[in-house]
Amino acid sequence: MGQILRVDLTRQKSAVEQLPSRLVRDYIGGTGFAARILFDELKSGMDALDPENRLIFATGPLVGTLWPTSGRWAVYAKSPLTDIWGESHCGGFFGAELKFAGYDMIIVNGRANKPVYLWIDDGRIEILSAKNLWNRNTAETTDAIREQHGDREIEVACIGPAGENLVRFACIMNNYQDAAGRAGLGAVMGSKRLKAVAVRGSQSVRVADDDKFMELVEDAHERVLKQPQAREMTKYGTPLLVAYKSEIGELPTRNHQTGIFAGAGKLKADTIRAQYFAKTRSCFGCRIMCKKVNRIPEGPYKGTISGGPEYESIFSLGTNCGIDDFGAIHKANQLCNLYGLDAISAGCVVAWLMECYERGLINRGQCDGLDPTWGNHGAMVTLIEKIAKREGIGDTLAEGSYRAAKKLGKGAEYVMHVKKLEISGQDGRTHRSVALTHAISVRGADHLRSLVTVDQLGYEETAAKRYGKDKLPEICDPYVEKYKAAAVKDTEDAFAIRDSLIVCWYSCGWPPIFWMPDFAAVAAAATGIKEFGRLEELYRIAQRICNLRRAFNVREGLDRRHDALPKRFTHEPMPEGPGKGQVANLEIMLREYYKLRGWGENGIPTRRTLGELGLSDVAAELERLGRL
Amino acid sequence: MGRIAYVGEGCTGCKICSVACAYAHDRTFGVKAGRIWVVKEEPLTDYPVVCVQCAKPRCQEVCPVAAISRVNDLVLVDENACIGCGACVEACPFGAIILHPAKRIAIKCDLCGGNEPQCVKFCPADVLKLKELAAVAQEKRTKG
Repeated sequence: MGQILRVDLTRQKSAVEQLPSRLVRDYIGGTGFAARILFDELKSGMDALDPENRLIFATGPLVGTLWPTSGRWAVYAKSPLTDIWGESHCGGFFGAELKFAGYDMIIVNGRANKPVYLWIDDGRIEILSAKNLWNRNTAETTDAIREQHGDREIEVACIGPAGENLVRFACIMNNYQDAAGRAGLGAVMGSKRLKAVAVRGSQSVRVADDDKFMELVEDAHERVLKQPQAREMTKYGTPLLVAYKSEIGELPTRNHQTGIFAGAGKLKADTIRAQYFAKTRSCFGCRIMCKKVNRIPEGPYKGTISGGPEYESIFSLGTNCGIDDFGAIHKANQLCNLYGLDAISAGCVVAWLMECYERGLINRGQCDGLDPTWGNHGAMVTLIEKIAKREGIGDTLAEGSYRAAKKLGKGAEYVMHVKKLEISGQDGRTHRSVALTHAISVRGADHLRSLVTVDQLGYEETAAKRYGKDKLPEICDPYVEKYKAAAVKDTEDAFAIRDSLIVCWYSCGWPPIFWMPDFAAVAAAATGIKEFGRLEELYRIAQRICNLRRAFNVREGLDRRHDALPKRFTHEPMPEGPGKGQVANLEIMLREYYKLRGWGENGIPTRRTLGELGLSDVAAELERLGRL
Repeated sequence: MGRIAYVGEGCTGCKICSVACAYAHDRTFGVKAGRIWVVKEEPLTDYPVVCVQCAKPRCQEVCPVAAISRVNDLVLVDENACIGCGACVEACPFGAIILHPAKRIAIKCDLCGGNEPQCVKFCPADVLKLKELAAVAQEKRTKG
């Protein structure tokens, strides 16, 4: 344990370093480590597909233990989709296996001259030819590597053809169905000609204070067991959200035009369970077990059997394209997993094309003869394949909706993005805190680096506990801006720690079981670093991570101007449903958020704020570049 | 004494049983040092494998140094006597005995030495049980 594996693909060399204790004390693990390393080792303005981009695979101090949702890992690099900070988290089994092999982190740079994969067998590191793996999908790649080494328990993180073809929203897959989806880090892997990282680990993870740690672990398991919504997640998985979001009128539909989808009933979790459910599966070490395998028994997609789709895929490939055929959504989601595409961006790019088509900005000929009208699921499924292969119109869409609109010279006003990242399945008009979250999130329109749920899901008790009784009722009202900046900031801080430990977002944000006091206790017991146990210090580390990631983006030229939402959210009121007439008033929340963060009105961290967090070197670097 | 029984379906493949087992025996968290393992296959298969405490254990028969014995219906390895030859691993029909990845001696389910078996305690799907074989059979008969 406690090692960093550095791999230089250009020189075909690797080296093992001990984890610096200072890095651990200041940044904990996962996202914290990556923030420091990417800021230190990347030059601003570099092309994300340049060999010098670093691709980091990281775990954290809780990964591989008995903490109930600790089967997580994450990938980091400059993103080829957004040209800023890229971060993507994943479940499955790869993270624990990497830890068992003795590594907290792998840092890859350079570019191989021929396709390769990295083979990590405890202390043995080899860079092997991927000649026979290139062009193969992620399931075939996983199977082939396991067969080649004669061990079916090897864990593989790999790209599919989409990553090889540098689709800007290519993902990295583990375990057939678990994706490090967003921000196009699969394309970074493809640019390095790194098809896969395969790991076998025979070691075990030690914690500092095992009696205390196990006491916390047992309590944590008990709390998950007792949480009724966690039990619902076990039964239905994330598709639970379809019914809820339908009820509150925030199920993003037809490229986020509305929050009401007529066919939602066909996509609800109880419908899916009754008609398609085949099995419940789980990531490593999880008590929630939200993974569902579904099978399509009839119709044009008969026989499709695969893990998923999650809520976000049902939104992106379904409602956002006006599609209510579950078989088509399931098929498209499976194709995304096999080709290695981020299912959110993939669906949203198709939704954007459909809106352009509806408005006559693009014709049938330009769409390779397809007829991408709302609800045309055949066209959607075909487009997914074309994107992965970069065929015809797919080559344009593979650039992401922001670049595709530039290439087309039309439709830019219908690109639903923040910082070039397609917007996930929320709507800031009817969920004000998420308007701010989408706008300020470090990787673009994101719902995972902060997502306040107390307002949307009405957790009054949790809100009172986390933010104080005096903040009620406003804090729980999704249609008001008051207190939302503070809640978004607090959640972003908590998630920075969550993403450094690394644990799953289910059980932290939704349902609300674990929060900062729990992280403090368990981080201290696991690492033996007493400072982590002090809430104040943990928040300081969280702020250090958030500011450093922000500084990475500032160095790339970002400021307040980029913390913006599409006009649809700020100027087109929600057209129907319970939230009819609502729009996002971003400015007021944004000002408050910057103030709380200690940033200037331009959205740039001040020298003083950076200095207080021990980031004076970062301030000096920004100053040198004229960004402070 | 009973055995660890996986009755019916419902394993989700999380591997918590392996990790809890490894911790119970070594006080470290891992999968390969566990004495219960999960087989995972695409797209629909997850199931645990653990020693069934055979009445006529082949591992015991083949052990060249008589390190394996059967005491009170429980098949036990004497870790001091074991030489780590792996004959038991080859002989077991279930793959339910292995060499410890670090210590290189045979390890297998010992029902946590009379304490509550930790795999049973932690199994999130609640599908692992400590049961007498007769009770397993009775349950199956009752369920039809």
